[in-house]
Amino acid sequence: MNFKTYLNIIIVALFIIISNSLYIIRESEQAIVTQFGKPIGEALTDAGLHFKIPLIQTVSKFDKRILQWDGAANEIPTKDNKYIFIDTFARWRISDALQFFKSAKNEMLAQSRLDDIIDGAVRDEISNRYMSEIVRSSNRDMETYESEIDNNNSDEDLLHTGAREKIIESILLHVSDKLVDLKLGIEVVDVQIKRVAYNLQVQEKLFNRMISEQNMIAEKYRAQGQGRKQEILGKQIQKEKEILSNAYLKSQEIKGQADGEATKIYASAYNKDNDFYEFFKTLETYKNTLDPSTLFILSTDNKYLKYLEK
Amino acid sequence: MAQEKININFKFPEIDQKIKRIIPFIIIFIILFLSIYTVEANENAVVLRLGKYHSTTTSGLHFKIPLIDNVHKVKVDYQYKAEFGFRTLQPNVRTQYKSRGYEDESWILTGDLKIAEVKWVVQYKINDAKKYLFNVKNVENTISDVAETAMQLMIGDRSFIEVLQQERVVIGDQARIYMQNLLDQYRSGISIQLVQLQGVVPPEPVADSFNEVNRAKQEQETLINEALQEYNKKIYKVEGDANRMVTEAEGYSIERINTATGDADYYLSIYNEYKMYPEVTKTRMYIETMNYILSNNKNKIIIDKDIENLVPLLDQNKFKIK
Repeated sequence: MNFKTYLNIIIVALFIIISNSLYIIRESEQAIVTQFGKPIGEALTDAGLHFKIPLIQTVSKFDKRILQWDGAANEIPTKDNKYIFIDTFARWRISDALQFFKSAKNEMLAQSRLDDIIDGAVRDEISNRYMSEIVRSSNRDMETYESEIDNNNSDEDLLHTGAREKIIESILLHVSDKLVDLKLGIEVVDVQIKRVAYNLQVQEKLFNRMISEQNMIAEKYRAQGQGRKQEILGKQIQKEKEILSNAYLKSQEIKGQADGEATKIYASAYNKDNDFYEFFKTLETYKNTLDPSTLFILSTDNKYLKYLEK
Repeated sequence: MAQEKININFKFPEIDQKIKRIIPFIIIFIILFLSIYTVEANENAVVLRLGKYHSTTTSGLHFKIPLIDNVHKVKVDYQYKAEFGFRTLQPNVRTQYKSRGYEDESWILTGDLKIAEVKWVVQYKINDAKKYLFNVKNVENTISDVAETAMQLMIGDRSFIEVLQQERVVIGDQARIYMQNLLDQYRSGISIQLVQLQGVVPPEPVADSFNEVNRAKQEQETLINEALQEYNKKIYKVEGDANRMVTEAEGYSIERINTATGDADYYLSIYNEYKMYPEVTKTRMYIETMNYILSNNKNKIIIDKDIENLVPLLDQNKFKIK
């Protein structure tokens, strides 16, 4: 080995030492420097180029961003004994990397610690609340089918003022308190109830109730339809009778007036000479009553035949 | 090792010279290539210098220090869309909920403790590339978690019937506001543009009963319409009958009065003439009447006034034949 080889070795060694003493913390990261496994100084949250003692100190990096926690849905009985699935999620971050490094070690372990803490807080809160408090978030009046089918036995399930947001606040408060106690270096930014769902049996029963309710409404519509039909048919008959009787009334009035008028006309004409009218009318009725089939047996002393005598 | 090096030199002696001449150009080209980057019209680029945030650049051609600067491009002016309760079946659609059934997402408890099937769409933009990149891990998951939370909250405070009917627009608006608040709280750099309810329907197991109600409503309307049709038909006919009755009475009235007037006029004309010559007129009228009656009549027997007991002599049959 000559001098050139030695130089090469020295250059390589220097390079290794320098690169081992420089490290980059990215904008989304924070870091802890440890010396033989023991943390040195505070957590480093400033992004950029940093130095450390090569080979002796090592760097552990952690996420600085808000991280997600998504728990499994838990079946929890409510205060009014409804079994529901609650699916929560949380957003958390490593607020103290030093603490985090000492107690939680890594994200995976932290997630499982959060599982216990959040699930516990959710279970405590939910089991102490009524179903409608969990689902609703206010006590505003709602329009429901019950009111439509005049079913006034108001559902006592719905009597409790909604408190969804209060429940969430309370869970967050409990979780935060617990995390402070446990000194995990974790801060939970937010806990939210993602889903509330019935368990399968309750859901089945609910669907059956919804179906029977709809059937009642359907029956109501049909009955109303029949009722309206009969009402219209009744009105029709009433109207028919009204129209026809009005017409009869009017026509009788017209006819009566006409007959009266005619009587007046006849009377005023015939009244002029009672004897002549009798003579005139009698002759006229002869023409009608004594038709060609009448058998006449005429005596010669008939006034008309008196000239045959001579 | 030295042996191989020599071998390589031996293999390409003539290329070697050319390469030596080109190498500086290639290096310059590579450095230039590495120090230039372009940002598209709808993009922002976040530049990290040695891991630390340096600047945000907008569209155009930009320089960076190769190997030291790191560039993250983010589509800031792009309208992202997330679907809930359903998926559009296209290859480029995100499928992060693939393992879950859509009912878990879409069957939401209403305020009156029923279940509605809700399908909705969230449209959002990245409005701050730096926040988007460095504040929240897995922003897309966060958006869908927040979207479901907001929707469950809004549906949960309204009754089933309200959710199905009049409250749909309000729900979308309020869910958008709620989502935006949470995402701002996380400083996620996301702006929710729109939360739109695509469909709110009864869940499939009860859908039939709701259709039944619609059918019943239609049946009701049909029954009423049929009855009204029948009503109109009958009433029009009866009105016609009534008009006819009145018109006929009016006809009768005219006829009766005309007849009376005619008869009276006829009588009066005769009476006026009679008054001038009463005796002769009376006689004439009598004779004319007898003439009319007897001239039309073929069954006449004239007997002398002195003959008595005439009837037995009459041939009854003869009269009958006639």
